[in-house]
Amino acid sequence: MATTTAAITLTSDLLSDNMSVSTSTTCMKAGTTADGLDQMDYGLVEIATGDQFDLIGATPTAGKASKLYVKNHSTDETYYVEIMIDSQDIGRLYGGDWMFIPANFHDANADIEVTAVTGTNKIEYALFHEGTALVAS
Amino acid sequence: MATTTATITISSTDLLTDELALSSTASLTTAGTSTGVTQASGLSRKTTSAAAAAGIQANVLYRASDYTAEKANKVYIKNTSTTAAEFFTVTLDQETIGRLYAGDWMFMPWIATSGTRAIFTVTIAATWAAGDTWEFDGVTLVAASSTVANIAAQIDALNYPNWTTTYVATEATIIFSARYASSASEEVWVTADGTLNTASNGTANISSSAVGSKSESDITIRPSVHTDMTYECMLIHE
Repeated sequence: MATTTAAITLTSDLLSDNMSVSTSTTCMKAGTTADGLDQMDYGLVEIATGDQFDLIGATPTAGKASKLYVKNHSTDETYYVEIMIDSQDIGRLYGGDWMFIPANFHDANADIEVTAVTGTNKIEYALFHEGTALVAS
Repeated sequence: MATTTATITISSTDLLTDELALSSTASLTTAGTSTGVTQASGLSRKTTSAAAAAGIQANVLYRASDYTAEKANKVYIKNTSTTAAEFFTVTLDQETIGRLYAGDWMFMPWIATSGTRAIFTVTIAATWAAGDTWEFDGVTLVAASSTVANIAAQIDALNYPNWTTTYVATEATIIFSARYASSASEEVWVTADGTLNTASNGTANISSSAVGSKSESDITIRPSVHTDMTYECMLIHE
């Protein structure tokens, strides 16, 4: 089985005491502890301002334990992309920000969509999943 | 300036032919600036449970109306369960984001787009007497005097579970605003919603009201089982 781990460390001096939160997870297939996610899509794209684009089409199998990583490589802090799922606005990834979420792909409309604002944003993404509906040629 | 950083490391030695090692650190700043974020709702931990599967309820983690919309907010959630089949379904408004299985965590931006809050105005008028009462939202005012402005000030000073108030000194009107934007507020408030008991002909009429609209991005999570499941969460916001 493939073993993929995802770890996060959050640190801050925002509070009276320093904060440090660290955790790590092994990316498993849904409901198992013995079988890791073994498929991956990885890419780097430039998103021009204006239109909304599908970053990930809703082809991975629904209701599984897919994980999505997205990073905005823009270096201008005013640049950002709007992240949407099925036209529901999730939030903004500003230059340098990243996100890591479970992705459900519950139906054919549940695409991960991005819209670049202010300028062309360079977006890195990685989707770890259990399988996709391949499109016949 | 506070410095808050979020570092992710994704690694695998056997998923691909070559080793996978993704790592990124983000300094969390306010929207469109290089200034660090200044507010956080600290790390919290909660265990969910219900008497039976039919009683499983979604938990509201964060209400959009409590935060500023369209900023660089970030949300961290972790499912601390160790039972592989147990998961939390994370939802933003009505849109399912995904399932957090045992040990899984997520970190995402949050738009915090709220709806509008229902409002109404109450006017204290006519003849009141000390001891008259007006009840609303489970809270009872007992008039300390017969002066309408004083009674209005008394009403403003009370704490209502579902409403906040705005009052200008010496006036006889109080504006009530719903604490949360939600579809539950989509009704017009009428005088009959307050219960007045007066020894004379005092009134507490609602002179105007407006419906609210539901929030568009409250974050909720729903456990997959009714037995104990525990999650941790934190919001970093502006």
